[in-house]
This record gives sequence, structure tokens and C-alpha cells, in this order.
Amino acid sequence: MHASIDHLLSLRDGQPVDAATAAHVEQCARCSAELHKLRETRVKLQSLPQLDAPSSFQEIQRAMVRPAAAPRRLVSARLVAGLAFVTLTSIFFVALRDETGPVAEQQTAPVEQQTPSIDVIETARVPELVARSQQLENLLQNLPERPRIERVSTAAMIDTIEGRIQWLDFQLSDTGDSGLNEEQTRRLWRERVELMDSLVKVRYAEGGVTF
Amino acid sequence: MSQFAGIEVTAEMISAACDGDLRAQETIYRSYQRPVYSLIRRLIARPAIADELFQDTFIEILRSLRSYSGDGAFGGWVRAIAVNKCLMYLRSPWHRSFAYLDADENEPIADMLIDAASGPDAQVQARNDVELALASLPPLTRTVVWLHDVEGYTHGEIARQMGRTASFSKSQLARAHQRLRELLDPESESLPCTHLSTIC
Repeated sequence: MHASIDHLLSLRDGQPVDAATAAHVEQCARCSAELHKLRETRVKLQSLPQLDAPSSFQEIQRAMVRPAAAPRRLVSARLVAGLAFVTLTSIFFVALRDETGPVAEQQTAPVEQQTPSIDVIETARVPELVARSQQLENLLQNLPERPRIERVSTAAMIDTIEGRIQWLDFQLSDTGDSGLNEEQTRRLWRERVELMDSLVKVRYAEGGVTF
Repeated sequence: MSQFAGIEVTAEMISAACDGDLRAQETIYRSYQRPVYSLIRRLIARPAIADELFQDTFIEILRSLRSYSGDGAFGGWVRAIAVNKCLMYLRSPWHRSFAYLDADENEPIADMLIDAASGPDAQVQARNDVELALASLPPLTRTVVWLHDVEGYTHGEIARQMGRTASFSKSQLARAHQRLRELLDPESESLPCTHLSTIC
């Protein structure tokens, strides 16, 4: 019985290995050769040359200064676009509800107002969902900083949504390894878009913006 | 051995850079630009993304110099920022989505890592073979083998950085070496000893 690659790597790295395996590797020509090759591969990796960076220090400096030079116009333009989008969407949904449902239904929470948009993304394909998710991500990044003092319930809701998004990201980052098929991947992305949408709305509400 | 080891930057230099001294900041940049960029390029195969991460990394290094407490090597602190940037990118769904969207392009990602300016020299060819073999590994596997075998991270440290277990790191390292062996030394594939099982 020869040593496994795990055992050989442990031996190479000075990790504890049971005495019988260590003794076998010492005596077995094949295992010793394998161990030697693993050491060689490590040396080859360590010997790869260093690469020169593409940016000069001046470029880094310019990149550092850039956000400070023109942040307000950029943020405000995006903020206005985002606000306009959310406001128009809300008006559309409220109008839709006026036509189809009782008045009491208009007082549902903002997060529920996204239901029709969920319908829209229901049939969207992964690239569209990715693009939508990225769009919402950009919108979120350009929102003003969160207030220092906020309601516990709002903070808890944001934490919950963010936690859920992180969990989805974790799953999505593993799609190759976990064997998710395209439909499962699409569902995860759809859920991510829904959560991002909710997060944007809650963050707007938190900032005192009504819609 | 980590490429960050042995680079000397004095405490005075760091302090001056903190205070906005551009010369000091440039010295830090010049000292660490190659190891930082090399690390990022080995973890992130796409040059455009690697370039962006490199810039982000240095911006963060220079902006957060004050948060360097002085405990531990400054190079280790710089490296941790670079590794974090790469892992954040690899964790992000954009990374996977790009892979998904690129799936039709039939462009082997490994080809993007090797710069065209390599001569016929055998040593250069051997290095390119290692570079290509490394780049052809899945991103997480490549990250684990680089952090462990070159940067000297322990499995526990890799697990913490990646939010996984030490067993995950060990299995990825074994997988990486299995694949590297197949690519770099094809005739050894027939050797029964390198299988992941304990019995050959």
C-alpha cells in the first residue's frame, strides 16, 4: 500500500503523519520519488519570476485623487437616476393597484411593491439577471452613507437581507463545484435580484427618501 | 519563500507616507509593486482584472497606512490586503458570471497569463509550462496552491481567509498537485501512487 498524495504532501510540509506511512515512504522507491516530485513542483512554483506592475505610482496617485475630485456630480447623477427609477416604478405599481385592488392594499410595505417586478424577472435569463443585479449593486454603492443612528428594526432588516445575499453569493461562487444546473443557477440569481431590489428600497427608506 | 519576505521599509518611511509624503509613498510602491502584482496575477488569470485589483490594492494600502499597527512584518500586512482583494473578487458572483458569459468564447484562460515575449530558451519554456499549468487550475485551487506553496500560508490560515475548512484547503492542494503533475509530467500519470485514495 503506497502513500496517498495527502500523506505525501503532509510529509513534504512537515505535518504529522502516522509512523507506518512515514516509514513506508522512506523505504519505498516509488513513494520517495513522488515525494521528491512534489518538492520539485513547489520549487518550480516558487521560482516563477516576478512580474512588473502595469501602473506607475503616478497612475495610482491619479486614481486616488479621482474619486475625491468629482464625486458629488457622479453620485448625485446616479442618485437622481436611481430615485427617478424607484419613484416611477412605485407610481406605476400604486396606479396598478388603484385599478385592480381595494384601497387598503395600497398601504402594504415597500418591499411588497416589487411583486410585479418579480414577475418581470421571472422569465429572465442568467445574463439579464446578472446585469440587473449589477445595476442594483451600482445603485446601492452610490447611495449616501448609512446614518449613524437608525432604527433597530431597519438595521436588523438590512442585516438580514445582506446576510441572505452573502449566502447566495457563496452558493453562486460554487456553482461549478456544486453541480448546479442552469435553472438552479438562474433561480439563485433571480433571488439575488429580488433581495438587491429590496435592499435598495430599504436603504432609500432608511435615508429618509420617500417613494 | 514568499516574495514579500526580505523587503525592508523603515518605520520612519511608513510614518512619512502616512503623513502624505509622496516620496515615501512612492518608495513603498516601488518596494512592493512587483510582489503585489505577481501575487495578484498568479491568483487572477485575467490581466485586465488583475490590473484593476492591483490598482485597488495599492490605493487601499496607501489610504489605510495608519491602520498598520507595527505588529508583524509590513510586507505581511501589504500581502494580506492584496490577498483579500483577490479573494473578494473570487467570491463575488461577478467572477462566476464572467466565467459563465465567457463560456462561448472558447478562449483558454491559461493563454491569457503568458505574455507573448518569451523566447525559445528552454528555461523560459519550462517556466511558461509551469505558468500555464498553474493558470489552467480552477481559481480556488490555484489560489490554495499559490498561498500554501509559495506564500507559506498554513491550511488553517487559508481556511480562515476563504471561509472554508482546513480540510477543504488540503483537498484543494492535493487536487492542484494532481493536476499539475498531469500537465507538467504526463508520463507519470501511469504511476498508481498519486491517487487521492489511500490504497493504490
